Amino acid sequence: MHPSCNGEVNSITECGRGQREYRGCQPMSSDSSLELSRRRLLQTGAAVTAAAAIGGCLSSGEEPDPATTPTGDEEYAYGNCWMCHHACGQELTVREGTAVDITGVDEHPRGSAGPDTPGTLCPKGQAELEKLYDPDRITEPHIRKDGELEAVDWDEAIEYTAQRLHEFDDEHGAEKMLDATSWSTTNFHGFFWGNLYGTPERIGRGRHVCFGGPHLSGDLMGLGSNMRFVDYQHSEYIIAWGRNIFESFAGQWEPKGVLEALDNGATLVVVDPQHTPTAQKADYWLPIEPRTDGALALAMGHVILEEGLYDQTFVEEETYGFEAYEEAVADKTPEWAEDITGIDADVIREVAIGFAEAAPAAGIALWTGVGQYGEAQKASQNVFALNGLVGNIDRPGGFRMWQAPPLANPFQVRDIDLPNNAEGATPALRTYDEYETYPFRHTTGIGHTVVPEMVDNGHLMGMFCHYDNPLTDGSTQAWLEALETMDLVITIDAYWNELTRNADVVFPEAIQLEKDTLINYAPTWSAYHDRRWISGSKAVHEPLGEARPGFEILVDLAEEMGWGEFVPWETEAEYNEDMLANIDYTFEEVAEQNFVLLEEFGYEQWKENGFPTATGKFQFDLDQEEGYVQSAMELGIETGPQWLPPGTWGEEPDDEYPLHFYDTRSVFFSFGADQPLAQLHEQYARKHNLENEEYRGNYLVLNPRDAEPRGIETGDMITVESPAGSGELMAYVSERTRPGFTTAEFGFGTGNSHEEGMNTMLVHDDQHDPVSSQPDRHLAVEVSATGGDN
Amino acid sequence: MSADDDHWMFYFDPNRCIGCHACSVSCKQRHNRDADADDWRTVSHVSSGEYPDFREVPISMSCMHCHDAPCEQVCPPDAIIKREEDGIVTVDRDRCIGCHYCAWACPFGAPTYDEEGLMSKCNLCLGEGPGGGHGQPERQTPEEGGAVPACVDDCVGGAIKAGPKSEIMQEVSEEAAERFEQGAYEGRVIVEPLKEDGEMADSIRNGDELNIVDMAR
Repeated sequence: MHPSCNGEVNSITECGRGQREYRGCQPMSSDSSLELSRRRLLQTGAAVTAAAAIGGCLSSGEEPDPATTPTGDEEYAYGNCWMCHHACGQELTVREGTAVDITGVDEHPRGSAGPDTPGTLCPKGQAELEKLYDPDRITEPHIRKDGELEAVDWDEAIEYTAQRLHEFDDEHGAEKMLDATSWSTTNFHGFFWGNLYGTPERIGRGRHVCFGGPHLSGDLMGLGSNMRFVDYQHSEYIIAWGRNIFESFAGQWEPKGVLEALDNGATLVVVDPQHTPTAQKADYWLPIEPRTDGALALAMGHVILEEGLYDQTFVEEETYGFEAYEEAVADKTPEWAEDITGIDADVIREVAIGFAEAAPAAGIALWTGVGQYGEAQKASQNVFALNGLVGNIDRPGGFRMWQAPPLANPFQVRDIDLPNNAEGATPALRTYDEYETYPFRHTTGIGHTVVPEMVDNGHLMGMFCHYDNPLTDGSTQAWLEALETMDLVITIDAYWNELTRNADVVFPEAIQLEKDTLINYAPTWSAYHDRRWISGSKAVHEPLGEARPGFEILVDLAEEMGWGEFVPWETEAEYNEDMLANIDYTFEEVAEQNFVLLEEFGYEQWKENGFPTATGKFQFDLDQEEGYVQSAMELGIETGPQWLPPGTWGEEPDDEYPLHFYDTRSVFFSFGADQPLAQLHEQYARKHNLENEEYRGNYLVLNPRDAEPRGIETGDMITVESPAGSGELMAYVSERTRPGFTTAEFGFGTGNSHEEGMNTMLVHDDQHDPVSSQPDRHLAVEVSATGGDN
Repeated sequence: MSADDDHWMFYFDPNRCIGCHACSVSCKQRHNRDADADDWRTVSHVSSGEYPDFREVPISMSCMHCHDAPCEQVCPPDAIIKREEDGIVTVDRDRCIGCHYCAWACPFGAPTYDEEGLMSKCNLCLGEGPGGGHGQPERQTPEEGGAVPACVDDCVGGAIKAGPKSEIMQEVSEEAAERFEQGAYEGRVIVEPLKEDGEMADSIRNGDELNIVDMAR
């Protein structure tokens, strides 16, 4: 049973449960959506009538009276899933103040396949219900007293933290504090740490630890940094390039969209060294030699040029640097690539021609698979060049340039004269000679793997982590030491782990379902290919224990720091309201409906706007991008597409460490905060037929041809070792993975909130892509049986 | 050899199943069951072949509420009831003696046994919790106000459907309907033929009951 919660239920009223009641006030309804919402309406029986009596679109704002609610005590609330932060709509059933069930929201931009389709929740999204009542969550503020973390009340915690921040500024200078916020639900932290506290040091996720290479390539070439998605529903040819869309997706609209495309007869190509659920459904699975994606892409370009299948008009009118591309692919024949990639030359030819002939209704989905190795920036540049070549950019079925809603800056809305106390300060990476060996300093202000060195050098002495755990992101052992050295570590989190246990201040954060949340993190890509949208929800009830929304914690802290005049908001809902100043919906209205669709936007937006690059065109060659040119010169690489073999910067297996080791994402987990939930780690074990073992950590997937000589069987505990360190986890022996290629799920073990299993980054030293700063998570290891059966 | 038109049935399309276990979790949460309890709806991942000729198919299964309900026929205390009104197979846990005969009889491995030793299984969300469907009024479709079965409600790929046979048959492919009419899976469940090739796919395509069950169990 879920523990009873005393909190008040913020009922969304029956009005908010389906689309039908909103026909008069939101633009999306159609007769078919009426059908879809019917099931929900009918479930509520006469309660609908009661809501209708209240007046259509408006929330009653009153507590429902169970005595007069014909359905008894059942109410409904919405959420926007924050388990992987891609905000699929959630609908909760609430009985007597406790949420008892959770499911998806029909037609939701992220959680459905679009108009007239049902919304669902993947296992992660469902498990947020478990997280809502998880007794292992941190529910009290803690501060370090006499060396020990101690639970205190909020007033003391806020007062202590403000005092420590003032002392830190006096002793070290504010510029030595690092803002490592990841998944807060507002952008307020940027104003707090940058404008008010005055630090220029900021590390994020996409560019810095998630898919740095493609993020940078996409930005500089003109695709933008959200270069992961295809206009699936209209596509005739989809290449999932190092992407496992059916298992690791940025919202369920992705697998749903691909399934719809397959129903429509589209061809699906999967490029992956490992067989995945996406490969199961593919027309072509290209089991590529790891890290040779760049060679495959150049060879495909070679074929497309040779066959005259490229979009000549697009190339001539909308692109820059085509000569460099022609030169780069001139000798990159499929036969050349076959030797490198292990993919048959005829298959390369077939896929290249199929892709080009289907274009512009052909797209490439690429994310971390070609994002987390040493040569990933250049590899992704080679892949993205194919988009420019076939002219699929922002055309139906190709690479889509989604548009965000026009969210406002709440400080401007309130006419607040916000200072910029970080003005004139430059990040240490660009200030001190010690970092001149890092070419990525020309395109970014920080790198994850260099932070421990900056702490050693005294250039970073404190850190604020908001729902972020750098211990899972690389250089883990060095980061653990850096935590010890830092003078002040402040965290906002929900679970205990090596980060929170080593912090000086631990603020317990309410989870998304306990907050009034507006999804302002990239509300762009979605199942609606031509509509802007926004999604929001109100707290289902009060947070567990003393936990509070992160926004309110920072507001209180700002007040205590003496910045009250700049921070007029008391709640996240008020801040959200101001973010919507340019949009014809109030936060209440959005939250009552869970999502609203906004204005349309068309294809081929580059015709009017050009591309956001130095030349205003799609760029094959990056020789006009100043920072990139400097990095390239220091590294001795081309600014155009180029083949960089594995081992140029990354590690190659050798006699001592003969196996590739790469980490992966399963459908049950995204970051380290999902792993503690029992429904998820239980099903993860069942998926591997290992539920009868007590062990609930991650598994090392290895091929029988690697397992047998080492005497390893499924269920054995094994040690993974690299020059940097070692870790222990359970073996899962399977033919799905390439001989010589081992993988493990990320987000387990030391440093994570679920400490069973192995933190894959314990065997990572400081390997990274020197162009982008992205940690190189593709390592060389040896594995051996250690603990026998668990 | 087949269900009555107004009897509820499950439909499964392996081509749309992405193997994510959302159905298993959704079932657990709807029925307020512990994470480590045996699943009423399981997902198996059936694989064959050596890299790179590797194949895998996810198979989601639960109680299929068989028209001939072999479990009902062997249940000594008559705790299991194949309901005439909607075809749902329910269990009266006050009568169940935990003898496991139903587990032996079930072609799908659906019955589970809890700490009390009593049987519980899918009740098509007729009710909630173990034994929750027993004695409930006739199952209503979502259009009539009945709950959408949890596994159907959260199937990310839209691979699972449930409803009265006459309604489900309208939504299946011609191939699946034809195969069903010919007696595939002994008329207990409607399964879409797999689009993939390969030996394993062939056995599923052939609707060989022993194969799909053996592989998934």
